[in-house]
Amino acid sequence: MFGLAAAGCALGVALPARVAAEVSDADFNALKDLVQQMNGKLQALEQTNQLDQQTIHALQQELTDTQRTAADAQQKSVAAAETQPLPRTPIDEATVNHNFQILGDAEFQYDKADGQHGSFLLADFAPIFLYRGGDNVLFEAGFDTFIQNNAPNGGGYSTTFNLSFAQLDYVINDYITLCAGDMLLPLGTYSERGAGWLNKIPDDPLAVDALIPGTGVGAQLRGAIPVGDAGKFINYSVYGVNGPSSADGTGNAEALDLGGNVGLQSDGATVGNLHSNPAGGARVGLFLPFKPHYDLEVGISGMAGEWDDAGNHLWVGGVVDAALHLGPNFEAKGEYIATKYGSDDLGDISQNGWFAQVGYKLAGLNMDMPVINNVELVGRYDSVRNGYDSVNNAFHFNTQRYTIGGIYYFTSTLLFEADYEFLDSNDPSQVNQLILQLSYGF
Amino acid sequence: MKNPKQRLRPIRTAFASVLAAAWVIGLAFLGRADSTPATAAQTNAVPASAKAPAAAQPVVKIQLTGAELYSMHCNRCHPERYPTERTAAQWKTIMLHMQVRANIPVGQSRLILKYLQDNSGR
Repeated sequence: MFGLAAAGCALGVALPARVAAEVSDADFNALKDLVQQMNGKLQALEQTNQLDQQTIHALQQELTDTQRTAADAQQKSVAAAETQPLPRTPIDEATVNHNFQILGDAEFQYDKADGQHGSFLLADFAPIFLYRGGDNVLFEAGFDTFIQNNAPNGGGYSTTFNLSFAQLDYVINDYITLCAGDMLLPLGTYSERGAGWLNKIPDDPLAVDALIPGTGVGAQLRGAIPVGDAGKFINYSVYGVNGPSSADGTGNAEALDLGGNVGLQSDGATVGNLHSNPAGGARVGLFLPFKPHYDLEVGISGMAGEWDDAGNHLWVGGVVDAALHLGPNFEAKGEYIATKYGSDDLGDISQNGWFAQVGYKLAGLNMDMPVINNVELVGRYDSVRNGYDSVNNAFHFNTQRYTIGGIYYFTSTLLFEADYEFLDSNDPSQVNQLILQLSYGF
Repeated sequence: MKNPKQRLRPIRTAFASVLAAAWVIGLAFLGRADSTPATAAQTNAVPASAKAPAAAQPVVKIQLTGAELYSMHCNRCHPERYPTERTAAQWKTIMLHMQVRANIPVGQSRLILKYLQDNSGR
């Protein structure tokens, strides 16, 4: 309408006065009516346009609501898919309430020590029997079976069958587990996690073997408390066991027996701790994962108790442990051990030792060489200051050992280990030696 | 003339130094390790039916999966075992043993067990 009026105005301006004078009143009125009709139509169109705009707005609102509903539904479906139970395990397996299982390891060893004949030294079979009763009860027992020659010139051989540990575990709740029996002691972590094929070097660290008990008969509470959702946690163990004892009942220094006090005498009739009080101990550890295969674990542990039959002397031991993993190919771990105990004949005796070992799998070099990829290089330094010298009636041996070697992995559980140990010691019984071992974990 | 032990002493000192350096470098490297979750290729994880779908997801709390916890805890003591090596019931017994022995938090142990059972031999 405005366009038409504007056109009329423009036409009026543009036409000469002679032309305007020729328009009759009738024509003018007709034109005026036409303009009014068109103005009416324009108003009607504007009203229609307003209604259309309202309709469009309403439709857009409905579209927005529909899209939001669809987005919500999609998010809910994704979330539901994530929490959807994965394919169920077979019913007969998932509902088994009791289960018997065998784990363990087997080793076969060749040893060549300086100044001695080389020998196929060891055939060792160390099964672990597990019996689970329900969801929270487990009985586990480990054995160590091996053969050895009888005494020199005695002929023949004997088979030794040792009970490494036998304990009953009851998971009280998510944070506390009760263990009882003949337990591997959490003095450091090596005693619990270093058996057979688990460690990368056949021989145990000198200080672990010489200074602390590996097992104890008693009861223990242990567990772990998560810290956050990234896998970090604190773990703990608190226990009471019979503890170290005296091999001959006296308080003489040489009589210390770290692991022989199991509560039952060899006559089968005398039952009881060899001294009047049990020993107590604890460990607390912190596990810090940074991502899978990258983690650091540190711990501190200790144990103390009477050791002589009269109960006049204490034995005290402490261990600091650490283990580091940098990817699937690098591991480093170590422990520092210190002990002290009193005696009748030599007074207080302090002993200590430590080890640090590293292992690196050559697969980390990403070389396209299958044989090389199965090799892991290992090295360890360990030392111990201990050992009774009967000649001088004193504890003054100082031994340092440097071990280098490698592992060839036929499979992840079938290993061939080759190590050479350099000994530096004032104990003449400690000599260099080569150890070859085939290990299988099952 | 030096005796054999004296001659070996520099070698042994160097050996101990290498061990100590490996520890120190390792600890320094650990401090720089980022927190990117491991891929399945970094573990013994089987092609995982246990993996979450890769579709666009709503924001959820970051939490380690059973597969990640499995690779992390196994490697603390020994090479990883394949989930297919054992049955679901066997894994239940073994995980209870490992939970106690390695002091694994019960919640993490449950996630690992679920992963192992979902991918077990049968």
